[in-house]
Amino acid sequence: MATETVAVTESTPPARRARAGAGLLTWLGVVPFFLFALAFLVAPASYLFIGSFQTLDGQFTLDNFRNLNQPIVVEAYKNSLQVSFATALGGTIFGFLLAYAVTLGRAGRVRSGLLTFSGVASNFAGVPLAFAFIATLGRIGLITTMLKAVGIDLYQQGFSLYSFAGLSLTYMYFQFPLMILIITPALEGLKREWREAAENLGASSGQYWRYIAFPVLLPSLLGTLILLFANAFGAFATAFALTGGTINLVTILIGSQMRGDVLRDPGLGYALAVGMVAIMAVSITAYTLLQRRSERWLKR
Amino acid sequence: MAFLEIDQLHKQFGDLPAVSGFDVDVEQGEFLSLLGPSGCGKTTALRMIAGFERPTSGTIHLNGRDITNQPPNRRHIGMVFQSYALFPNMTVADNVGFGLKLKGMTPADARRRAGELLELIQLPDKGGSYPYQLSGGQQQRVALARALAIEPQVLLLDEPLSALDAKIRVELRAEIRRIQQQLHITTLYVTHDQEEAMSLSDRVVVMNKGFIEQVGPPFEIYNYPRTAFVAHFVGQLNVMPVRVVDAAAGRVALGEQTIILEPPLAANGQAVTLAVRPEELELGAAEGHNNLRGLVESVNFLGSIVRVRVAVDGATLSADLFNERLLTLPKAGEAVTINFPAHAAWVLEEQG
Amino acid sequence: MKRGAFWSWLWVGLGIAYFAIPLIATLEFSLKAERGRYSLAAYRTVLSDPQFASTFSFSAGIAILTILFSLLLIVPTVYWVHLRLPQIRPAMEFVAFLPFVLPAIVLVFGLIRIYSRPPFALTNYVWSTNLLLVAAYMGLALPYMYRSVDTGMRAIDVRTLTEAAQSLGAGWPTIVGRVIFPNLRTALLSGTFLTFAIVLGEYTIASFLARPMFGPYLANMVRNKAYEPAALSIISFALTWAMMGGLQWVTHRTPGSTQVTTGPR
Ligand SMILES: Nc1ncnc2c1ncn2[C@@H]1O[C@H](COP(=O)(O)OP(=O)(O)OP(=O)(O)O)[C@@H](O)[C@H]1O
Ligand SMILES: [Mg+2]
Repeated sequence: MATETVAVTESTPPARRARAGAGLLTWLGVVPFFLFALAFLVAPASYLFIGSFQTLDGQFTLDNFRNLNQPIVVEAYKNSLQVSFATALGGTIFGFLLAYAVTLGRAGRVRSGLLTFSGVASNFAGVPLAFAFIATLGRIGLITTMLKAVGIDLYQQGFSLYSFAGLSLTYMYFQFPLMILIITPALEGLKREWREAAENLGASSGQYWRYIAFPVLLPSLLGTLILLFANAFGAFATAFALTGGTINLVTILIGSQMRGDVLRDPGLGYALAVGMVAIMAVSITAYTLLQRRSERWLKR
Repeated sequence: MAFLEIDQLHKQFGDLPAVSGFDVDVEQGEFLSLLGPSGCGKTTALRMIAGFERPTSGTIHLNGRDITNQPPNRRHIGMVFQSYALFPNMTVADNVGFGLKLKGMTPADARRRAGELLELIQLPDKGGSYPYQLSGGQQQRVALARALAIEPQVLLLDEPLSALDAKIRVELRAEIRRIQQQLHITTLYVTHDQEEAMSLSDRVVVMNKGFIEQVGPPFEIYNYPRTAFVAHFVGQLNVMPVRVVDAAAGRVALGEQTIILEPPLAANGQAVTLAVRPEELELGAAEGHNNLRGLVESVNFLGSIVRVRVAVDGATLSADLFNERLLTLPKAGEAVTINFPAHAAWVLEEQG
Repeated sequence: MKRGAFWSWLWVGLGIAYFAIPLIATLEFSLKAERGRYSLAAYRTVLSDPQFASTFSFSAGIAILTILFSLLLIVPTVYWVHLRLPQIRPAMEFVAFLPFVLPAIVLVFGLIRIYSRPPFALTNYVWSTNLLLVAAYMGLALPYMYRSVDTGMRAIDVRTLTEAAQSLGAGWPTIVGRVIFPNLRTALLSGTFLTFAIVLGEYTIASFLARPMFGPYLANMVRNKAYEPAALSIISFALTWAMMGGLQWVTHRTPGSTQVTTGPR
């Protein structure tokens, strides 16, 4: 009788180790790369980090972080978080619906077209994107004037492209395509057999989504939500070009402080930047961990 | 009335009739295999029984109930997939207990029952593992347990072993048969591996191009193939183009040599094809048998058997000899005589 | 069935509208430079603007330098790591990850604070400012470049390939020039297209380093002109499309090698 002989095979190939006695010379090969990273990525970040704990004459202090607690800074963080979260959530939902429509839904015919367009749109940002929205929803934009012609005056109704709502609409242009690009493979990774196996065991379509499809997609959905959040949080050019710097976001505030327009306190500028990097680091790390889990489930 | 009655099932994909006139009755507790080459419609037939494909025409009755148009989640038919299809977000125990949970069983009862099933498939310690932590063979056992957990009336398996290594395949095959007999569960098993079908089944359904070629126990399928397709598809086969010399006496000619068969035969002078299994051939001459002279073409040592290929007038015949230590193997180019009894050969019907 | 189709096409329709309307509006706007009729006047003005030509060629030059230096830095390093130091791959990946955490505005902030003062004082000369710009862009492009090259090398298993070539008696120049490089063409091209797309329209770093790049030029136009920036936006979009098209064209034969990218925000 067959007994248990199958061992769990973790597919770790025998580690390819450096040749025995690989000396200093071998390591020299990677020095330029790490030097570059040190000089142009690590050093700038560290400089800001260290600076954020120093007074003007180099003494250790926590005042810079204490000073973050002033209305203009708090408002900047609040606005940045709001815009990022709103557009991340909107992008996740809308992107998911679109990706669903072309994978599991009935619009499969336009799948590759949608993916191509998403690839372009997620890379179309900054100044030209801002202008495209000015031409659409600005005071004399196409949609604004068309609506006016039928008696709806957007700007009279309180809408402004140069406000929270307008900025969010603009960010959405690169947010939901990014969602489409990331979630489409995940949706395609849902195996037909999972649904069939579930049905076989008595599950309705709703139960299949509740117990299997949704939990399997959840890491991807959450991860992408976070990625979209970070994507909007670090954005500067689009917001700056759209509003000319009149909207108060963390990135805009950092920019103004670099130009010496506001604050006039270098230490506070460093603290602002460090706060921003901390939020980015947490988001991106969470995204990576979630994405890894999702890949483990969806592979093969 | 049989337990599972499948009547004249037909499935059309566009222009392609994937399954035609599929008509089989399966008894309670029977193990039936669907065997056939790739693309012959085995999976399609199975999926119609499971409810994933709607038949173009025909009916399926299970235990007297017409289930032809019933949705799959109401059929109480378990299915095991080639790709295991375990739910990656659930532990092994949750996978096995999933169907029970849907049935409204309390979590404690479901856990206990899942534990029993894990015993049955000999993986009692793996309840807390996730599917990606298991080997392919272990995953397929879990898939089997999951399908069995809901105590289905019929178990369907679609090439459950084809993604596994040869050794594990043989092991798990025996395991499936043991569990099937222990639970006395009606089982339909799709495979394109004839050895698997032969060794497992009570009866085998041989399919080709959507049609059933023959249904019968393995012994019958192998030794009394009803069509040329079955004869060729199942096992090795020697074929000889012969001419009927004397139909009444069962005498035919292979080139210059004469073979005696069991009558009746077709009309004199007609060309027919004769078939004989390699293991029916023996080296040397034998009294009362058909003796054919030829030249040895090659000798292949395959372990428990030795395959000797002999060129006779107009045909090359393989003779499978059982290996033994005392065997003296002929050499290529040697002149030999081979023999087989009259009842071992039969005339193949003309192939369509 | 019918209902599913309705919803699918509704979402797709909305998506297409979202994609298309801003582009249509911009296009329409760009054609209205002359009163009362559609014309290409805005495009003519832009294309004959010497600043357009100079900023565009300057940006292209910076992009090419970025790509060149990136390849010189990354390809040999990744090759070496695959060949001799596979154990430090996690460290490489971590480094390639850093730019995601550093928004462009923060990166340029830090760079200026360090390199605009003594002892470096790179911003005192034009050429050294340009170098700093290239270094910053190499940083921005690092994740994409690294991923492309790493995936490419993994796909062809450079170690085995190298050993096979060596066992056939090939010397180093032959190995790198005739064996490794041709097999990496897809990876290198896709990294190149991506970098081009990132650098060409970049605004943040360019404007803080005060270099005459295309991005700041466009921003300036937006502030001062009406129809010309529309034409420039359309041209930008076409360029992004061309780069992404190029990317898809080189990677479509190797599934799984496409990566999700985001442009400069
Ligand atoms: N959904 C479908 N749409 C169209 N044609 C199909 C579909 N499913 C199967 N077919 C076709 O029907 C025929 C039978 O397919 P089926 O999967 O039943 O074969 P099979 O016997 O299971 O083969 P294999 O051994 O390769 O699994 C094939 O020609 C296949 O291409
Ligand atoms: Mg099949």
